[in-house]
Amino acid sequence: MSFLSSVVVHIPSWSVFCQALIALLVPILVTRMYKKLHSFVGNGRNLETNKTIQSSVSTPEVMPFSGDYQTDLQAIYSRIGSNSDLHARELPIKKLNARGTLFCVDGMQNERVLNMRIMEFLMFEATDGLLAGTVKSEELLPFNNLSKVSDIDIFNRSVLFGHAGLLIEGIPHGLLIEFPNGTNRSITEPVSEALIRGPRIGFSEVLSENTSLLRRQGFSDQLEMKSYRVGTRLQKDLVLAYMKDIVNPDLLQEVQTRVSNLNADFLADSGYIEQLIEDNYLSPFQQVQNTERPDRVINALLEGRIAILLDGTPFALIVPVTFSMLLQTPEDYYERWIPSSLLRMLRFGAAFVALMGPALYISLIAFHPGLIPTELALSIIETRQGVPFPALIEVLILEVSIEILREAGIRLPKPIGPAMGIVGGLIIGDAAVQAGIVSPFLVIVVAVTAISSFSIPTYSAGVTLRILRFIGMIFAAFLGMFGTILFFLLLCSHLTKLKSFGVPYLTPASPFRATDWKDLFFRAPLSLMKRRPAMLKTRNNKRK
Amino acid sequence: MFTRTDDKITTSQAAVFLTNTVLGAGILTMPRSITQEMRTPDSWLTILVGGFIVMLTILLMVKLSQQFPGQTVFQYAGRIAGRLPSLLLCLLLVVYFILVAGFEIRSLAEVTLFFLLEGTPIWAVIIPFIWAGTYLVLGGINSIARVFQIVFPITILVLLVSFGFSLRLFDFNNLRPVLGSGVLPVLHGLKSSVLVYTGSEVVMTLVAFMQHPQQAVKAMIGGIAIPFALYFLTIVFVIGGLSIDSVINSTWPTIDLIRSFEITGFFVERLEFPLMVIWLMQMFCNFCSFFFQASLGISQLFKFSVTPVIYGMVPVIFLAAMVPNSIQDVFALGDAIGSMGLALFLMLPVLLSFIWILRKKGLKQHV
Repeated sequence: MSFLSSVVVHIPSWSVFCQALIALLVPILVTRMYKKLHSFVGNGRNLETNKTIQSSVSTPEVMPFSGDYQTDLQAIYSRIGSNSDLHARELPIKKLNARGTLFCVDGMQNERVLNMRIMEFLMFEATDGLLAGTVKSEELLPFNNLSKVSDIDIFNRSVLFGHAGLLIEGIPHGLLIEFPNGTNRSITEPVSEALIRGPRIGFSEVLSENTSLLRRQGFSDQLEMKSYRVGTRLQKDLVLAYMKDIVNPDLLQEVQTRVSNLNADFLADSGYIEQLIEDNYLSPFQQVQNTERPDRVINALLEGRIAILLDGTPFALIVPVTFSMLLQTPEDYYERWIPSSLLRMLRFGAAFVALMGPALYISLIAFHPGLIPTELALSIIETRQGVPFPALIEVLILEVSIEILREAGIRLPKPIGPAMGIVGGLIIGDAAVQAGIVSPFLVIVVAVTAISSFSIPTYSAGVTLRILRFIGMIFAAFLGMFGTILFFLLLCSHLTKLKSFGVPYLTPASPFRATDWKDLFFRAPLSLMKRRPAMLKTRNNKRK
Repeated sequence: MFTRTDDKITTSQAAVFLTNTVLGAGILTMPRSITQEMRTPDSWLTILVGGFIVMLTILLMVKLSQQFPGQTVFQYAGRIAGRLPSLLLCLLLVVYFILVAGFEIRSLAEVTLFFLLEGTPIWAVIIPFIWAGTYLVLGGINSIARVFQIVFPITILVLLVSFGFSLRLFDFNNLRPVLGSGVLPVLHGLKSSVLVYTGSEVVMTLVAFMQHPQQAVKAMIGGIAIPFALYFLTIVFVIGGLSIDSVINSTWPTIDLIRSFEITGFFVERLEFPLMVIWLMQMFCNFCSFFFQASLGISQLFKFSVTPVIYGMVPVIFLAAMVPNSIQDVFALGDAIGSMGLALFLMLPVLLSFIWILRKKGLKQHV
């Protein structure tokens, strides 16, 4: 009997059962929503299923050159002749007694070369050998970049893209004789990844220049570059670069599949590619690294990674990426190992502060002032006396204004930027304290947090931490220290689930790979780093 | 193969998994629970003896599991003892895991409410914690093991630093006399010292997940040696720092030890703050481990897919955590869990090995 009554005493009340029900329902609902969202967003990406779609798109009716000069010319004119920037120069080829037409677009060809060399050759020097053997005919033309096109549409597209096109009577295909040579930006120092010591070269917007920058890093016959055409409406060139004898073939296969399955009508920047090939697009963390630095790319290639370069953008992508890579800079390897290691650890510390600073402030001030030294707690509470808001609102006011300030600073013209920093940072911060909206201690916390997030070398990783910081603040505001720890654990759980092209995101910290720790928080002396990262399972493990 | 598709863990992950499963609430309460039984300062001896006993049992469990490569106890028990008896035994094990999970989370809530969040309703602590655990457990054993690998070094570092600072309170006389009342108290405390190793039953499922099961003995003994050493250090430092009288009277003696001194001029004057932080993270690991084992058990016993079982487990664990009405109840539940663990040990590995040997050697059956 007493046993029964003690059992009855311990049966929880109905409210506990209600809570249990809520505890059950919320995760189920959240998962439902997550899955819905996942499949909804995923539909637009078509990573696996679009092979058939693409092949049907990319094979429109082929329109071959007929071989009859007049018909072909008419066909070209009818398709692209209405463009006012298209120049078609009809030229008689004296020695052949044939006609030819040279097509080019304004501003894409060097006029002098066109006039002087090419036209002169065609008009006066080209011999009838050109027409004799139809197969070998193009070999007789003294042009370096010569290619034969048998489809009128492709010919048209290339001409409009900037190639110089040539149509000669008697040759049943179009000839592309010069590469586009439009105006380019000169090669400058990378803006988003400045270094004190190290190469000052950054990628530019021209793909061939970028690949040549990679080639010029050193002599090797193993650096391989594979070119792809991507985009369905406005096509662009994309290059995969990797070291043939190092890269893991399965990884290469995976990247190739994802790249060839890209489904978009136009890829404006490598950011498009990043978003279309990454593993988990609902994660706040980037799973592809972007960089403007050729030295960074070549180092990554030598570790067994793969680079993706797109025409029209100075940002190359590196896959696979791990979290620690986002906090490392190439300079770590250029400087001596002791300062590099210390700076690197400093950066990890800064990342932690950038993520957790305000959350820790809220939980310590609002929930557990007893955990910090008494005098400090007293002085903080004293300065907070006049502040009419709870800690969360106080932090939010200042954090949000700092974020606005930062966003404004990026968009402003260069000369105004610093001025606004002074107005925004110094004057508003000081005035906010004077007005009693925030406490001076908080200004310190927010400023340190902001500076810490500036010290993260990869801009996009910094943005991620900025977003997560606000989530951390909300956790802290509800559950104090407990909430902050919960936030940290959730973040860890998420990061351990995350993968970048099959490589766990937190390697080598977890899964633990002792050999890769030489290059994590610490940058071991170069003579000790004789092996490539184990996480990439390269073909050729030893650096030699 | 570049992308891993098998859900296996490495040897070091398995060791850390076991460590984090065993290292739970005990680290805060163990000095009191053992000393209460013994009333002599010899509890460190008890921990040593208990640890060796546990190691032997782990050895037995590993050896048994190695006979059935790739199978957890929930799968191979049926092959040894027949469907129905093994189902009952394994269900008992699952209930045990649920109770432990509930107990751990309840002690966590009690500590949090006492030290950090006074006045917060208890469900507000427990439910978010279970949800966070659900998120991790859904990722499978690999994610869990990886989180363990992150938390583990932090735990060890902070624990050792805290104990190192507590040396200033350490008085060797508190640990004397050795065996002043004879050997009997040591044997008396043995039961509660085996209790602190609650959770070593996971060995029977863990071996199945190992990439190299032939290294299981090494991994598991290594995995239990760490909590063994940490418990030993804890009890020596707590009793040496506080003396047995204050240990018996304090609810959370380890926290009391760390609270009782200040480091002036440091950012946190009392190390109780970092200790609480790592202990909460440790409890998360601990809880997730039992959560995972219980879900795994149900899904393998009844051939369910594991995801709905994990969701279904959420309210069950919540209710298990809410059953005790007071902190005395929580400790009573802890004792009951200890006895249950002992009984389960007798029933599962010992009985199963016995039947297995009987059938294999005695009856020459092919199992």
